Amino acid sequence: MASLGLFAGQKATDALALVPELITDEADPEGDLAALDALVDWCVRVSPAVAADPPDGLLLDITGVAHLWGGERAMLDDLLDRLARQEIPARAAVAGSAGAAWALARFGGDRGVVPPGAEADWLAPLPVTALRLEAETAAQLIRLGLARIGQLAALPRDQLARRFGPAVLTRLDQALARAEEALVFRRPATPWFARLAFAEPISTPEDLARASRDIADRLCARLLAEGQGAGRFELAFHRLDGRAERLAIGLSLPGRAPAAIARLFAPMLETVDPGFGIEVVTLAAERVEPVAERQISLASIGEIAREDGIAPLVDRLANRLGEGRVWRAAAYPSHIPERAVVRQAPLAAASGAAWDAKCPRPVRLFARPEPVIAMMALVPDDPPRRFRWRGRYHEVRHVEGPERLAEEWWLRPPGSVTPAHARDYYRVEDNTGARYWLFRDRLYGGEEPPKWWLHGLG
Amino acid sequence: MPAPNPRLAALRAEIAALEGGARAGAEVIAFGDERLDGRLPGGGLALGHWHEFVGEGLELETGAASAAFVARLAAPLTRRGELVWVLRRDDLHAPGLAGLGFPADRLIQVSARDDPEALAVMEDALRTPGVAAVFGEVGEVDLTAGRRLQLACEQAAATGFVLRRRPFGGTAKAATSSAAATRWSLAPSPSEPAPGEFGLGAPRWRVSLERCRGGRTGAWILQAWEEDDAAHPFRLVAELGDRDVAAQAPLKLAG
Repeated sequence: MASLGLFAGQKATDALALVPELITDEADPEGDLAALDALVDWCVRVSPAVAADPPDGLLLDITGVAHLWGGERAMLDDLLDRLARQEIPARAAVAGSAGAAWALARFGGDRGVVPPGAEADWLAPLPVTALRLEAETAAQLIRLGLARIGQLAALPRDQLARRFGPAVLTRLDQALARAEEALVFRRPATPWFARLAFAEPISTPEDLARASRDIADRLCARLLAEGQGAGRFELAFHRLDGRAERLAIGLSLPGRAPAAIARLFAPMLETVDPGFGIEVVTLAAERVEPVAERQISLASIGEIAREDGIAPLVDRLANRLGEGRVWRAAAYPSHIPERAVVRQAPLAAASGAAWDAKCPRPVRLFARPEPVIAMMALVPDDPPRRFRWRGRYHEVRHVEGPERLAEEWWLRPPGSVTPAHARDYYRVEDNTGARYWLFRDRLYGGEEPPKWWLHGLG
Repeated sequence: MPAPNPRLAALRAEIAALEGGARAGAEVIAFGDERLDGRLPGGGLALGHWHEFVGEGLELETGAASAAFVARLAAPLTRRGELVWVLRRDDLHAPGLAGLGFPADRLIQVSARDDPEALAVMEDALRTPGVAAVFGEVGEVDLTAGRRLQLACEQAAATGFVLRRRPFGGTAKAATSSAAATRWSLAPSPSEPAPGEFGLGAPRWRVSLERCRGGRTGAWILQAWEEDDAAHPFRLVAELGDRDVAAQAPLKLAG
């Protein structure tokens, strides 16, 4: 390209004047971004922490991952070879900071691996544009003769900041691994990551099951060795065509039992489409926290620990049915009936709050109250003697109430609180003995007549 | 019951063991009244089996009185392990159960999409060590599913409570022969507040034992004890004649 006098950012007309037979196409920044996004997913085979660096870069955090390839250099070669095989031209470098890696990949020799602490030496000969500076700042530096990063680094820091703004110092420090840089990873960097690569691509369900078991063994052995357990595992099958099939499971108590984890993944494996084959399997653990080794005391022999009984059951159900489908009801300090119950994780610690035993509540509560046609009340304010609900009439025998529940005025903007929103609840029993929890919306004597609703049963 | 005779009692136990499999000496939840317990093998609701509760009339739709009855009945099982309630509609209200003396804040609730899923969850939960009781609201339990539930109960000595419930406006399924140890028909019964007192009395249920392996059927009216520390959850108010129950044909329901 360079031999023809072409370069990126050149005007199309200039380029066509130089090379009349040049093929041009419309720029598609959105398509480029989507392709970069797909590449982020593909790169997760290398490390779980991949950040897109639009328009054309990717940043990978490979902390604690390189040993899987036998070194950073081998890992870099493998990554670039695989990209080349997919006809994606790429340059890459490994360094102790994102800034240095960025600079070396674009301006340094290809496939550079910077030894720890050597960023300053490697960056010194590179042009200042490699520092990810604003175009104006970079142009100004070059005009002043500060063309190389080495020259910039040699200047006194306070003068540099005063003359060119603090951004220059920040970028310099980030490149030289003196300042932290926040990268937006697709998923957080985790050292709890295992990877299995296959010489021959696998695709049969039995192989997938064995691979998920093997990789769980690997990761769990590390978790066990360091006294940790994880609450969530993500298994990814990376296919030959670059796509990845992902499965995730959650545990109610942090765990590290490979058999149990593989068993939770097993029913999901049939949803995995292996395509032309799967070459890499990765497993990442999230919500990693210390887990104490269980002690078996004399007193607890014969009792069944939660880890053996209920916790695996909750995990099985939550992963098969969905996480929102298994819960435990907990008290919430609110007198509004529908707000008095919150759902919490089945094995979460009890909050200690309890429902008021003095207020009787129905056994069944409707998510939304159902309208009731009330008839024959002795006094307009009284509960009905007879009411119609779902097409059937019910004769009221006994009534208890009212229990007036006003709205939670402290949650509303001042001025909008009126007593008109109060609900008067009555427990009524019909002639068969069935019990209903009725309420009257609005007070009698307002502009609109009060309405009756059925909120619960029993 | 006849006068105690050790030889007769031994023979009875032997027959019960033959009839009910390995049930001799099995644990039960006693109702605390001989008129009811005497009809049940072992003197109460057998643990390690599953029991079927069918609401009558509107109760089959709402499932309110049966949920309250079963919650009171099974509350003592809390001490033995975890409790799981499998729902088809999420309308179970924990504060209401707590008011009946049931530890609703310890109850694990599971919402299932359909009957087969609810039964599969029940079976899985019943097989889990550390689970004392599993409640399931399902439309129907066929014979195969019932046998599977029974095997699961026996494996982990857990007790199953199946509340038959049909969708609102749906058609009732005819009671089928099932593998349940007992089948009960449940309906609310009008309460009788103490004279001179306003409000509702203690809840009452009209309970009939329709099927019982190794026992005899019967029908009773039970009332919840007002005191929380009562030894048994219910007080037997009246024993109904079998003919009386037979006359109570299921209500014809409109749409």
